[in-house]
Amino acid sequence: MKKILTSLLLAVLCTAITVSAQVRQVTGSVKDESGAAVGFATVKIKGQTAASVADEKGNFKINAAATATLEISATGFALIEVKAKSTSLNVVLSRKVDDLENVVVTAQGIRKKSKEIGYSYSRVSNEDLIVGRSPQLTQALAGKVSGLAVYTVNNSVDPAVKVVLRGYRSLTGNNEALVVIDGMQTTSTVLALINPNDVESVTVLKGGQAATLYGSAGVNGALVITTKQGDKGKLKVSYSNSTNFEEVSFLPEFQELYGSGSHYSTSFGGAGYLTSAEARSKDNWRSYENQQYGDKYDGSMRPAGRTAPDGSYLNVPYSNIDNIRKKTFDVGLSTNNQVSFQGGDASSTYYLSVENQKINGIVPGDLSDRTGVRIKSSKEIGKLSTSFNAAFTQAAYDRTGADFYADILNTASWIDLTKMRDWRNDKFANPNGYYNDYYNNPYFNKDINRLRYKDANIQGNFDVSYKAAPWLTIYNRLAVMNNSRTQKNSVEKFTYSAWAKSGAVVPAAFDKGDGSGIYRAISDVLGSVTDASSTENVVNNEFQLRVKKDISKLQNNLTLGYSLYQRYTKSINIGSTSIVVPDVYNVSNRQGVLTGGESNTTERKFGYYLDLNSNLKNMEWLNLNLTARYDATSRFFKTTRAANQYSYLYYGAALSFVLTDAFPGLKSDWLNYAKLRSSYNKNGNDNIPLYGLDLSYSNGGNYPYGSNVGLTVGNTLPDANLKPEFVTAIEFGGEFSLLKNKVNLDVSWYKQNSIGQVLTVRIPNSTGFSNLLINVGEVDNWGYETDLKVQVLRKANLKWDVNLKYSYNDNKVISLYPGITSFQYGGYAAGNTNVVLGKSFPILKTDGYFYDDGGRGLRRVNPTTGYPIRNTALVDRGSTLAKDMIGFGSNLTYKNWHFNFNMEYRGGGVMFSYIGNTMTFTGSGKWTERRTDHVFPNSYYIDPTSGKEVVNTTVNVREPEYGLWVDNYRNIHENYVTPNWFVKLRDINLSYDIPASLVKKSRIFSSANVAIYGRNLFTLKDKLNYYTDPEFSFTSGNGIGINNTGQTPPVRQYGFNINFVF
Amino acid sequence: MKKTYLYIAAFLVLVSTGCKKDYLNVNTNPNSLPTATPSFVISNAMNVSASSLVSPNELGMMWSGHWTQSNGYILSTTTFQYQFTNNDYNYWDGTYDNLNDYKFVLDNAVAYKQEYLLGPAKIMMAFNFQKLVDLYGNIPYTDALQGVKVLAPKFDDQKTVYENLITLLDGAIADLKKYPYESTNAGADIIFKGSNLNWIKFANSLKLRILMRQSRISGRDSYITAEINKINTEGSGFITGTEVGVNPGYNASAGQINPFYNAYGYSETGARIATNNYPRITEFAVNTLKATGDTIRLKRVAYAVGNEDGANPGVSLKPELTSNYVGTPFGVGSGFLPTNTSAVGPAFLTKGVFNKPFVIMTAAEIQFNLAEAKQRYGAAVTLAGTAKSYYEEGVKQSYRALGASTTGLAALLVSGVNDVDFDASTNKLNAIAYQKWFALGYFNGLEAWSEYRKSGYPLTPQSRAVTTTARPLRLYYPGTELGSNGANVNAQGTIDPLSSRIFWDID
Repeated sequence: MKKILTSLLLAVLCTAITVSAQVRQVTGSVKDESGAAVGFATVKIKGQTAASVADEKGNFKINAAATATLEISATGFALIEVKAKSTSLNVVLSRKVDDLENVVVTAQGIRKKSKEIGYSYSRVSNEDLIVGRSPQLTQALAGKVSGLAVYTVNNSVDPAVKVVLRGYRSLTGNNEALVVIDGMQTTSTVLALINPNDVESVTVLKGGQAATLYGSAGVNGALVITTKQGDKGKLKVSYSNSTNFEEVSFLPEFQELYGSGSHYSTSFGGAGYLTSAEARSKDNWRSYENQQYGDKYDGSMRPAGRTAPDGSYLNVPYSNIDNIRKKTFDVGLSTNNQVSFQGGDASSTYYLSVENQKINGIVPGDLSDRTGVRIKSSKEIGKLSTSFNAAFTQAAYDRTGADFYADILNTASWIDLTKMRDWRNDKFANPNGYYNDYYNNPYFNKDINRLRYKDANIQGNFDVSYKAAPWLTIYNRLAVMNNSRTQKNSVEKFTYSAWAKSGAVVPAAFDKGDGSGIYRAISDVLGSVTDASSTENVVNNEFQLRVKKDISKLQNNLTLGYSLYQRYTKSINIGSTSIVVPDVYNVSNRQGVLTGGESNTTERKFGYYLDLNSNLKNMEWLNLNLTARYDATSRFFKTTRAANQYSYLYYGAALSFVLTDAFPGLKSDWLNYAKLRSSYNKNGNDNIPLYGLDLSYSNGGNYPYGSNVGLTVGNTLPDANLKPEFVTAIEFGGEFSLLKNKVNLDVSWYKQNSIGQVLTVRIPNSTGFSNLLINVGEVDNWGYETDLKVQVLRKANLKWDVNLKYSYNDNKVISLYPGITSFQYGGYAAGNTNVVLGKSFPILKTDGYFYDDGGRGLRRVNPTTGYPIRNTALVDRGSTLAKDMIGFGSNLTYKNWHFNFNMEYRGGGVMFSYIGNTMTFTGSGKWTERRTDHVFPNSYYIDPTSGKEVVNTTVNVREPEYGLWVDNYRNIHENYVTPNWFVKLRDINLSYDIPASLVKKSRIFSSANVAIYGRNLFTLKDKLNYYTDPEFSFTSGNGIGINNTGQTPPVRQYGFNINFVF
Repeated sequence: MKKTYLYIAAFLVLVSTGCKKDYLNVNTNPNSLPTATPSFVISNAMNVSASSLVSPNELGMMWSGHWTQSNGYILSTTTFQYQFTNNDYNYWDGTYDNLNDYKFVLDNAVAYKQEYLLGPAKIMMAFNFQKLVDLYGNIPYTDALQGVKVLAPKFDDQKTVYENLITLLDGAIADLKKYPYESTNAGADIIFKGSNLNWIKFANSLKLRILMRQSRISGRDSYITAEINKINTEGSGFITGTEVGVNPGYNASAGQINPFYNAYGYSETGARIATNNYPRITEFAVNTLKATGDTIRLKRVAYAVGNEDGANPGVSLKPELTSNYVGTPFGVGSGFLPTNTSAVGPAFLTKGVFNKPFVIMTAAEIQFNLAEAKQRYGAAVTLAGTAKSYYEEGVKQSYRALGASTTGLAALLVSGVNDVDFDASTNKLNAIAYQKWFALGYFNGLEAWSEYRKSGYPLTPQSRAVTTTARPLRLYYPGTELGSNGANVNAQGTIDPLSSRIFWDID
């Protein structure tokens, strides 16, 4: 203690000495780039200890000589040096941007200097996130981080999103990145709820070493989200409004030549069989068909459907209505309003934001409404600093449960669906009079079939940090989260009229033996109701000792941590498949028994970890980082099991080497900075289904019948020796600044190997079980990433930055269970995704064509019928992963104008669109347009007598107007496999800062900004991809790459935004 | 400084004592039971053995020429063009899953003092294993259902499996004689309500089914007759005058009504189900019944065009004149809209009759098996009746099972019509085969298809959707088994469902 006192005294004395030389008072004000005051900035004389703090309005006073240089700094702003020549200074601070000396928040909140870090990470700041004003944080990240794949697997007012870092490691387990909000380990559900504008930054920890301190949860990398903290200074209020339009960006390609009709009724060659395809298709025309294999549109007036009881019918021109499918969807409108308050004084800060987001989707009637509040505050009291953060979000959704899209595809293009919205009053829109015998009015289906749910999320944490000694900080964070959902699904009851059931006929002049009664009226809509609620509760406590201690020349930063984690979920649902009184959706209003179920889970973990960062004094260019963590997990726990079966230790090391500091001679005008990094890491993972250790006995299907109980033996057999799996990862990389820091380059290469995966292996059912849960299998995953940032222009009024990111990722299944070479994820019987030994996964397999031996790509047809022959064997079509990803972004600022955009390319795999099958079935697909006699293109047949392959130029397909498409082409699923590449303009934004002079006059605002923006304004895709957005998938599980009508068509969004600061 | 060491000490104490094993002891599954009582398991297993027959019975009804699909649907190319793969018609996985529940009963009945379940479990296993052989030929039997002990079960020869099933049933009968059903637990027996005698009769009937399925294999006669005579010696006899049916307590609740009624008829609220429009009686079946003067049974298995009168359950909407019964040609894709053709009739689908037992064996089938045995083996089998008496009893039982009026039956049996009047029939075995084919229809479609494959009679028309003469003779081994037990599946050779025959299907 004495030493410290002495040095302090010396410092004071020194100051006194300086003061005596030509010192006068300097006053000034500190503002940010927008002209708003920056409170509590520190003003320090360079090379001296004399300092002063600005007041909350940013005004300061300091005594300084005219020759002195002032260093002015404030939290969140870059330090600036100003000569104290004048006695009155106006200082403008600029917000801190990523620079090499930046402090990065890494795993478990440990702050590190960028140059100390020996692994790859990326930081995305608020400005980059809100460019496209995306209401969802994950979508705002798409294309902005190399190695990060954001999949919007479904589009609706509640989009399903999947976030994967550096590809897939686990064959059947979870591959999604961990989401950490202000230090708390949460789940991806939170991503849909957080207001992107509340996010200060997202640090993306890509590899195992980066996220290893999160334990098993971090094995897939982590998104570390830091929410905004109030700026010190006087109260700042900002208000922002965005109004956003959403429309279908593209639909599959439709044929516009043929209307309703189906199969020809006379068997081939039978009595009266017409030989002309055109004549047959005239015969095929039906007024009530969902299929679109009728004759060519001719503009004549024809009845749509059957007669009403009064004999009337819908008589409309038989001709294509342009863009009718697109018109069936709405233009969505959404509005976002938010207001935030922030401020603070020398020792405390606060931030409060309130947001409301209302979305009306493209499917008429679909809407969502989200309101969120976030409060964050901090306070320093001497050695103690505390911070508190709480967020509450409530979101309500009202969506259709019907397959609106499929219903539209089953409607011929001569039917004006836009006139069918009012099905309650319009007799030809009502199910009792709607034209289509097989598929109901899409508007009716979507109106009666509703999913309504409300999510409430409360999430918060309380941090305490106590600086017990200059070298020791004690830190604790308690975080809790609760998600709850209450849901009611209902189907409205509808009883068909007797006329619809058995009376309605096709007008006599058009009747072709069509009988009476509307086919679909056979079964009434019974109505149903399901009521469900679920809750998820997570508690996470982290206790840390942070030690900063030098041992002679060795400088050490050590963090010792102790982590506790508990997650509890409960969900329960009850329902009835029939309701008695219409429109009353309560399970008590039912006939028969209640259906329902319940599920509860609890999991707990604890872990100890250490993170040690060491370097030698005067050799700070070489940093070693060691990490270790010991975890114990309830997922593998049984009182009868040995400790090494449920607890495990893992560790890693990372080395960073700043080349330009070690050898200053390397520094030149073109090379400013170079850092090399490498890391090795082994990570444990408790990737086992909850309660996977037990064979379960559950109720048999439909049991109990009254008092009769029935149980069944579970089908998944657990191996007795199950234990956690391990993932090892190595990574090499480098960071370089070139050409006077104008060019920044970051490259990495990594390889991950995961062994002993806990896999649900398909075993033969003849064993009595279908699956075995066992540690088995090995997977390699590797790739590289390149990030290039270039300051293209830096002029007084002009600033232009561009960035380019490229990443490649692939994986390979090294081993599976002995004797098993592949297994299926799911999909369709004739088109599904698989794990295949020795290949990357998932692999798409479909049935397909038989090809000629000559390698000419000719497809085998039947020598008699000319129809393509389906090869029922499931053949590999390639990986569904997009292995290559490129992101390109540009930020241009000219005076008050800002123009930004981000684009993304993904590709390198294949996809399978079941929509293709649906559209061939309905005859709405453009590819079904060829309905006159023709030879199946690129085909051959096997000559029945010689047995030789003959190029087919002579055998026409038998019934090109129907049989070719529906009975043959439709069932060959290779037809719907296409490359999965796309280029999307993810977001684009043009904004204008209203000049400060103008704003000031208002005396209300301190700054204002207006912007127009768009998201996904254009999408380029493969010319063979007639179908949809390759990002879409029918599942958010691992077996991605298959899409169907369950995903509404892709959309583009555009809107405008206004922003005021008071 | 000392203070900070205190903090460190406190930290160490905290982390070393904070977490005990108790903290982790939350890994007991709260969502399902850790074990089960055999009587509960067998109840569900019996229910599944019945309900899982709906789908294969439908296929059997199609491929035996009883049913086709209506033209309100796009023609199924898998069913009617025989374009099916090893991913279609997987009746393997579910059956083995079901068998494993019976295996659980066998393994645990003694421990739970429920030995009386051993016999029923073995009988139901034999029932299901026979189904597997009839669909797939060689199957895992001795290696099957061993869990982790045998993860790649070898396949057994189908004929040997058949023989093993007879042994299994003998064992079941011995168990049933030894362990009487506990009356308090009789409710768990959703087939015979705890009647050991009926179980033995069912075992005998099943043995007869298994034996007679092999009747056309040359050189098999002595084995079959010896086994039939053993049944006779055992003395309990066969199921007579009633069907073997499963009823867990069907009631008017979603999922709990008779599965056949639920698949093609009405929902629990009495609303007609969309698939009521799916199955259609074939033109062959309708026309044959008309031609043989058997219109009483026609009007029980089919409704007149226009279907059932919703207001008058069990009665057609249109007059029940023979001319109003219209069949649909097998495999035709268009031109026969549901409104213009006959649907499944009142014997099976009468609005409101939702809780009949699900029949797994009919009394008529047993009589026809006896008739065939007597016809083929004469005095070599010690059966009391004659081929004719068994045959006529079979037809009578069919009438009874369909709820058909027997008023004209006596006259019909002496009408002189081939395949109806036994004496007048040119080929007695064909007459038995035809009547058995018809009597099995609707109840046991899968058995109808097996009998059709075995006897090749009656010769139903080929599907209109194919140009060749080949028909399905079996199913592929499912892709799931191929993927996980590949070597053993491949050891069975190349399977072509249109030409590979089950061992009892000799031509």
